Amino acid sequence: MPQAVVADAVRFQYKDQSSWALDGIDLTLAEGEFAVIMGPSGAGKSTFCCTLNGLIPHFLRGRFEGRVTVLGKDTRQFRVSQLARDVGLVFQDFETQLFSTNVELEVAFGPENFGLPRAEIASRVREALSTVRLAGMERRSPTTLSGGQKQRLAIASVLSLAPRIVCMDEPTTDLDPVGKHEVFEAAARLRATRDVTMVIVEHETEEALGADRIVLMQGGRVTGDGPPRQVLADADALESAGIQPLDVVRLFRQLGEDRVPFTVDEALELMRARGWRLDGAAYARLVAQKRPPACGDPIIEVEGLRHRYASGVAALDGVDLTVREGEFVAVVGQNGSGKTTLVKHFNGLLLPTAGRVVVGGRDTRRAGVLELSKLVGYVFQNPDHQIFADTVFDEVAFGPRNFGVPPGEITRRVREALAAVGLSGYEQADPFALTKGERQRVAVASVLATQPRVIVLDEPTTGLDYREQRGMMQLIKKLNEDGHTIIVVTHTMWVVAEYAHRVVVMKDGRIMFDGPTREVFSHEEELTQAFLRPPQIVRLGNRLGHPLLTVEEARACLTKGGQGGGRLSLP
Amino acid sequence: MDVYLYLERDSAVHRMDPRSKLFVLLMVFAVAVLCNHPLPLLVLLVLVLAVGQVARVLGNLRRIWVMLATIGVLSTVIWSFWAGGRTRLAGPVELEAFLYGLATGLKLDTMIIAGMIFLSTTRNEEITAGLIKLGTPFAVSFAFSTALRLVPTFIGASVTVIQAQKSRGLDVSSGGFFSRVKKQLPMLVPVFVCAIRGTNQLAMALESKGFGAQRERTYYLEIGLGRLDYAAMVVSAALLGLTVYLKVRGWLEIPGLIR
Repeated sequence: MPQAVVADAVRFQYKDQSSWALDGIDLTLAEGEFAVIMGPSGAGKSTFCCTLNGLIPHFLRGRFEGRVTVLGKDTRQFRVSQLARDVGLVFQDFETQLFSTNVELEVAFGPENFGLPRAEIASRVREALSTVRLAGMERRSPTTLSGGQKQRLAIASVLSLAPRIVCMDEPTTDLDPVGKHEVFEAAARLRATRDVTMVIVEHETEEALGADRIVLMQGGRVTGDGPPRQVLADADALESAGIQPLDVVRLFRQLGEDRVPFTVDEALELMRARGWRLDGAAYARLVAQKRPPACGDPIIEVEGLRHRYASGVAALDGVDLTVREGEFVAVVGQNGSGKTTLVKHFNGLLLPTAGRVVVGGRDTRRAGVLELSKLVGYVFQNPDHQIFADTVFDEVAFGPRNFGVPPGEITRRVREALAAVGLSGYEQADPFALTKGERQRVAVASVLATQPRVIVLDEPTTGLDYREQRGMMQLIKKLNEDGHTIIVVTHTMWVVAEYAHRVVVMKDGRIMFDGPTREVFSHEEELTQAFLRPPQIVRLGNRLGHPLLTVEEARACLTKGGQGGGRLSLP
Repeated sequence: MDVYLYLERDSAVHRMDPRSKLFVLLMVFAVAVLCNHPLPLLVLLVLVLAVGQVARVLGNLRRIWVMLATIGVLSTVIWSFWAGGRTRLAGPVELEAFLYGLATGLKLDTMIIAGMIFLSTTRNEEITAGLIKLGTPFAVSFAFSTALRLVPTFIGASVTVIQAQKSRGLDVSSGGFFSRVKKQLPMLVPVFVCAIRGTNQLAMALESKGFGAQRERTYYLEIGLGRLDYAAMVVSAALLGLTVYLKVRGWLEIPGLIR
């Protein structure tokens, strides 16, 4: 039996780049195997995916060395379109890979290209759609689907070619928690119903547990390879490779245990076996000590806000909210719940259909975006939607210049803003040549330089690896400590747990919960209904009867033996 | 934001062949162009609206009514003053000029509404399939429909880019001509960068799904001319014939109009 994938000393250097994106990859995947590839940004994960179906070396140009063999075929000898029946490749960005006007035709596109008979195509479309649970949506337009549905459609559109190898490059990065879950479920169903070899590039460590094997990549090389429980047990190695370790693994390492659990259930069992319990007195001290700092006067007041788009969609359906100066607020909720629509009202990008929004004492209906933006800075999700200048200096100076800040002052502000985001010395760099994480920082600096009192950040950590995410959040935390009011829209639950003082949960255009992070996260069941799942450590805390927000908090509250004030409630 | 006009309905108009719909659309355009009097144009508009009603796609009118109203009012006003006639209506405006303005507005609006109904009842892929049956090569037809498909994507990206730059204090509505042109740069660069990146990724996705794998390709979407298609083509061609006849007899003009 041939191996599914054999990569033999594969090196690849993109045209016009000086370093090797892949620098000697040796990897063999057996047929039917399920491998998850993990690694920091720039490790070469996506590049490796593109070698599997021949996009490298045929489509993406550069220097290619070594050999990739899929199901016995040397990828150099076959065109990408010929390999399409063997290897299905799903990309991260589902928006750009869907192009049909209805679901059925999207899935039919692959088999059409291979001239399959109509009846055969019809049965393949049916089967592919049922695997990803989109049956019944044949006539829907892909643009009307949710993010998770779109990505599952993208998966179905390669499944209809019946490939024996399916490779997904960060399929869940742009999705909300429920969308992520749907995609993993579809992947699991696919493996249960068909005999496929599966390669998924993924950042979500918890989801990687279900794989046969985890492959770690760094700097274009494979730096770790083994069963998940072996690879994930080494929390320090993961962290130094820029990958988020599992909360419970980190916790038990910090507790000094030799054995580590991987799931919440396992953690509870191990705690019981080893005599760990939650110390109620310590917990009370922790809660008192970690109480959010006192806040100032209201700076954003939202009353009875409704917003209806021109298309007739009611995105906000009666929102009341007051944000005080100095707060650190996280706005969470499923895609389409109205999060972004809400925060776009804060600097006047959107105006209320009904109700009102008062920012710094001014009704947004009477003040323009230009004026409100001096008070409320808005960092968009994708830095590529704003970067245009030749140098980082000009990019960051753009805002202050528009606001008529004098030149001497601009130089000082740019210097300060770049220092704040950790990009001092990058003034003359070309922003387009920076990494995604760095571009994200430039975007933050460019808003920071306008010195707004409130900073709204839409998904500031999406598309960044764990290390970059942490760096970004530390930066935002510091801005908050320096007095800026912070409003973050995010799907990343650990970011919320560790950094936000207050959480606003949106559902169907209304606020479902609004309160201190610890309290909101204790409503795990209701959050699940809003399709949100708290991080592992929070779920562990909830099972112990006391919501914990970080591994460090858990470490501080757990004691061994003796009688404390608290009780460990085990199922 | 959704800028597709297509509405999923189960109607006779939707089921028609894209080729016959295209033919009828061209006939409607021709009739509209030939008529210069508001009365026959009104009849044509009613017919077009009736088709839209049968197809149950007139809801899309909501999305373009501002444009339709603007065109209607502007044409009427401009021609009322621009053209001349024999019968005084009010002030410097003559009845003939007013009627002509009304006719021009109706003409443009009818053509737009007819186009809207075509796009509301015909899928992108059907247009592609129709073009292929008319002898266009697949690659060309596909490029055409993909271009249509990318329009909303680019509009969406442009809206975000404009919002992002406005949030950083970009004020395009002030300043002289050159400063306004210069202000387009912060909007154009990101839109182009995103467009190039998006098209590149689309190309990769197409390749990965076997685009152009072999010469012979199946077309999953079946189109074919039915009885209704032939009937519609005959009726619309007859309508054009009648219009040409009336035109030659001079009945479609406004007597006494001075342009």
